[in-house]
Amino acid sequence: MTGSVPAVEAVGLVKTFGSVRAVDGIDLTLGAGRIYGLLGPNGSGKTTFIRMVAGLAHPTAGTARILGTLVPDRSLLARIGYMPQVEAVYPELSVEENVAFFARLEGRRDPAAVNRVLDLTDLGDRRGTPAMHLSGGMRRRLSLACTLVHEPPVLLLDEPTVGVDPALRAQFWAHFRRLADAGTTILVASHVMDEADRCDELVFVRSGRILVRGTSAEIRTSAGTTDLESAFLHHAGLDSEGRPLTAVSS
Amino acid sequence: MSIVRILAVARRIIQGFRRDERTLGLIFVVPLVVTALLGWVIRDQKDVTVEVVMVNSAGPPGQRIIDALTQATIGAPEGIEVISIAGSEEAARAALRDGNGDLAVVLPGALFDDVLAGRRPHVTVITPGTDPATDGAALGAFQALMATLAGQLAAATGGVAVIPIIDRETVFLSASADALDVLAPVFLAYFGYFFVFILTGISFLRERVGGTLERLLATPVSRAEIVLGYGLGFGFFATLQVIVLTLYILAKVDVPALGPLPAFTIGLAVQSSGSPILAFLLAVLLSLGAVSLGIFLSTFARTELQIMQFIPLVIVPQGLLGGIFWPVDRLPDILRAVANVLPMTYAVDGLKAVMLRGADLGDAAVRLDFVVLAGIAALFVVLAGATIKREVA
Ligand SMILES: Nc1ncnc2c1ncn2[C@@H]1O[C@H](COP(=O)(O)OP(=O)(O)O)[C@@H](O)[C@H]1O
Ligand SMILES: [Mg+2]
Repeated sequence: MTGSVPAVEAVGLVKTFGSVRAVDGIDLTLGAGRIYGLLGPNGSGKTTFIRMVAGLAHPTAGTARILGTLVPDRSLLARIGYMPQVEAVYPELSVEENVAFFARLEGRRDPAAVNRVLDLTDLGDRRGTPAMHLSGGMRRRLSLACTLVHEPPVLLLDEPTVGVDPALRAQFWAHFRRLADAGTTILVASHVMDEADRCDELVFVRSGRILVRGTSAEIRTSAGTTDLESAFLHHAGLDSEGRPLTAVSS
Repeated sequence: MSIVRILAVARRIIQGFRRDERTLGLIFVVPLVVTALLGWVIRDQKDVTVEVVMVNSAGPPGQRIIDALTQATIGAPEGIEVISIAGSEEAARAALRDGNGDLAVVLPGALFDDVLAGRRPHVTVITPGTDPATDGAALGAFQALMATLAGQLAAATGGVAVIPIIDRETVFLSASADALDVLAPVFLAYFGYFFVFILTGISFLRERVGGTLERLLATPVSRAEIVLGYGLGFGFFATLQVIVLTLYILAKVDVPALGPLPAFTIGLAVQSSGSPILAFLLAVLLSLGAVSLGIFLSTFARTELQIMQFIPLVIVPQGLLGGIFWPVDRLPDILRAVANVLPMTYAVDGLKAVMLRGADLGDAAVRLDFVVLAGIAALFVVLAGATIKREVA
């Protein structure tokens, strides 16, 4: 389909806000049909990186390409599914109306597509409920439904499972896996490590830079540890209590 | 009751406003500016000379009256002037219709027979009828002049002053038209503008701060599509509003007494002579401008309160200067220059032309109003589009 063109390709991406270097030179190439975990603490630049890749923020330096096309390009947008970190749904519209609205903007007008994602996110029996009356976790699911409805080949999901109950979370991951098997590229940003093992590859970021990239096993092995939290600290150059290893205590 | 808790609440309000310099400024600056503007508009209105068109059907004696009137106007304090003598009442009406004159006076053929027979003669006075207040002022000036002249004549001849009976007629609407007949069609536009602006401003502000705008921009929708979609969506409600108000203004439905309820009337039954469709199109063009302006200005607001703060900037000046209450050509020069760039000015001019004078697109002034309103709407569609950036951070 896209041949050997990478699904996502970032070259030297930098974004500064005043003196804050939110993204500080990220090079990243993601291949088709895999699930990538973008992991790092709050404020490490995950959201800013994703927004630049989606064409929603102008990079201070560097370029991003999706499916070989330079971002920003409006024709690309129908082929991206972007789920923002904050639920961006219309509170006064019902669940179904929200999904149908985004489906129409993406050029999907069949009710079947809407029903499919409502089933997937387990919102079928809430279709008539105004979004403002949903719980936080349900709004999160609605936001995901709006992102998936047009079945794009590239998914950029910013903390998609926050506040979603474990059983449903497992369903989500099963669905992500099916999508990836069918060729969809998925980038999932998260600040918690507990879902990392579900990803094919992990990218650890801190202070706007990539610390390490690899499979979960590779990263743990190279850090000489069995859990990812410790591996993160190791790759960030911190000791087990979060203090810089090189710092001289006085 | 705890004074400490009351003070805590009061204190938190004052602290909150301390960080909102804009609201603070508005509390003090806006009333001053609006009051000053009102004072400027009312006090510095241009004195206008009432221009009189005479029609003489009373032969040579009538001509002598016209000469005497012309003489008397020189130096008359009321600012009144005979500018032309029309050959017929029809010609005089045509002159008023074209804006050449504020008042026509017809001296009838029976004038002198009445005088000789000792009856009070009749004189027909015609005004445009599109602005009862201005018409009334012009008529007053003319009556004062007649009284002066009659007094002088009486003194010169040693007789009694003969003051003619004035029969009033108008070119447009009717002599019984009141301020409401003139204001109602214009209010259509003003209310529409006001609500559409506020509603769009708040809705779009919510899109911006709520993250849905960024979410929209991650779909293939274009900025122009968003602005036009907003225009259509709010246009729908603006349309309903205009229809309901128009019906209320024009209708007169008598509801008979029913049981304990007394009889009453629904609707204002204002006088109107023009095409409601054209008036409606003017209101729609004005609303489209309001939608785009709301989107545009929502960039400069962080909260819904701050959208409200645009009212004194956007709504009040258009109400004062747009020609709703005071004719634009009587405004002081600076304010008239301001009025000439306000969409309301053109909407009001067009609505008055259509609803009161029955003008249609054959009228160059109405065409100009349409073109300017469309131009302003298009300009703000572009400006609004420019504020919808991919980068909404
Ligand atoms: N719009 C913005 N204006 C100013 N600073 C910002 C903005 N967006 C993000 N930042 C800053 O950039 C850094 C990275 O933020 P973000 O990308 O949201 O990180 P993450 O998503 O990993 O939590 C933070 O220090 C944050 O304060
Ligand atoms: Mg984030």
